[in-house]
Amino acid sequence: MDTSLAMHTAAIEVKGLYAAYQRQPVLEDIHLSLPAGRWTAIVGPNGAGKSTLFHVLTGSMKPLRGQVDAFGKAIEHHRKAGSIAYMAQREAIEWDFPISVWETVMSARYGHMRQDAWWRRLLPARWHEQRHYHAVEKALDDVNMMAFADRPIGALSGGKKKRVLLARALAQEASILLLDEPLAGVDPPSEQLILDVLKREREAGRTIVMVTHDMPGARRYVDHVVLINRFIRGEGAPDEMLSDSKLAELAVSSIEQSAYEVSVAGSPALATK
Amino acid sequence: MLHTLDAFSSALVAGLIAALMVPVNLLPDSISDAFQYAFMQRALLTSMMVGAICGMLSCYVVLKRWSLLGDAISHAVLPGVAIAYLLGLPFFIGAFVTGALTSLGIGAIERHTRIKSDAAMGIMFTGAFALGIVLISKIASSTHLMHILFGNVLGVQQSALLLTLAASVVALLVVWLAFRPLMLYAFDPTQAQALGFNTGVIHYGLILLLTLTIVASLETVGIILVVAMLITPGATAHLLTDRFKTMLFISVGVGVGSAVLGLWLSFAFDVASGGTIVLVATGCFFMALLFSPKHGVLMRLWRHRQVGAS
Repeated sequence: MDTSLAMHTAAIEVKGLYAAYQRQPVLEDIHLSLPAGRWTAIVGPNGAGKSTLFHVLTGSMKPLRGQVDAFGKAIEHHRKAGSIAYMAQREAIEWDFPISVWETVMSARYGHMRQDAWWRRLLPARWHEQRHYHAVEKALDDVNMMAFADRPIGALSGGKKKRVLLARALAQEASILLLDEPLAGVDPPSEQLILDVLKREREAGRTIVMVTHDMPGARRYVDHVVLINRFIRGEGAPDEMLSDSKLAELAVSSIEQSAYEVSVAGSPALATK
Repeated sequence: MLHTLDAFSSALVAGLIAALMVPVNLLPDSISDAFQYAFMQRALLTSMMVGAICGMLSCYVVLKRWSLLGDAISHAVLPGVAIAYLLGLPFFIGAFVTGALTSLGIGAIERHTRIKSDAAMGIMFTGAFALGIVLISKIASSTHLMHILFGNVLGVQQSALLLTLAASVVALLVVWLAFRPLMLYAFDPTQAQALGFNTGVIHYGLILLLTLTIVASLETVGIILVVAMLITPGATAHLLTDRFKTMLFISVGVGVGSAVLGLWLSFAFDVASGGTIVLVATGCFFMALLFSPKHGVLMRLWRHRQVGAS
């Protein structure tokens, strides 16, 4: 693979990132350079900081320290331009919210609508610009959910909920897709459909970054793998990173880390006794 | 200048009341008789506006699970009323300031300490409420306190009516202009953030809007009962629809409807008007709970039986 090109065009560049929840460190000294136009898998045990990394990228969490750039500019700039799409985990969504599948996917266009003429923003949905309609229609077609456009989102099955969330990320027509476990808890047909869609999106030149636990899927589809467990534990081609020895190392790191956390959490309590 | 403003606002209120009386006078005399008094006309106009903005805001309160926050802000308004009285300021300025300060204080405690949000709210609002009661016991009679706590819609003055009118216009404009960011923030704040919306501004803007609504409702339903008007219409509407916009309209309808019916019932039976308005809204909620075609209890039982039978 032409890694030289990948090194020159990083879609996301993370430098010296530290993040913590309530003084508990979650990510430390993260340096990353995710290649543009490629499909990257982020792999790590539960609690390794994968979702936290995404929260930093989407701006819902402030890092303690560090710089995050996209295509050579501060990432906030790209969020405002709508070029970063995020597919949340199913548990992160309020499925009881009174909203239809169509309107959920359309909400991905709200960022782009800031560029529309001011008077359109004051009018109901049918006055939206055509391009927003086309994007939503295409996204729903891609995930095969057009027939469900008028359903309330709460009435869908698990796999269909995932497809709606993917359609929402696609409708944004962003250059970077961040997907938090897009394949967790989906039925096999939905899984295949999601993987096929992502493959096409990558071929269309989008940068895909996904958190996954699905090793066979990752081996088959992705171009680049990042192993993470609080620190970066490895970065490179899938064959090398997803080898049994590498994954075993990652598992050991997670056992060591939980031992470390017990000692850290336990010590103050012992000290006060 | 001030004089023309005064004349303009009087004319505005007179016009609104005249417009309101057109449909009222079409009703049978036994109903419309109650609204021939000037104080009842003012009460009708004020309580309808309060019902409308509380109904609108209650959708956000219910969907964002902010019921306790609404409770907290409404109680925190009390010391502001007392302090404004001591300083000789209009009451709504004090009410707005302490209400907003308390909600900011809750957020700060929640973010920077290990205390969870429900405890933070409980501490802040009971503390503020207690301070309000102590202050008021020193400066005013207990009837006055009762009016602030439970509302006094039949005694609504021109100034309170104008305040409610201004608050309604502001709330309506904000919800209209920021409809999409507000809905997205209520639905999925992470997505709003990822799309580059300033969620801090949306969050605190919504809290300020809530505070404004509470202050505007103070004289109509009072501090204690405004919480009901900020939860019940939205919860009722949530049982009846799966569309956000429809929910807004139903909720406003429930708010206005309860205000009108409650006001009339309180006049007809000579009972407390704030309480009656809330009781009508509560009645609407239980009707929806039982009979809602999709999410009602009876429909659920019926579907269970059908599944069991087949």
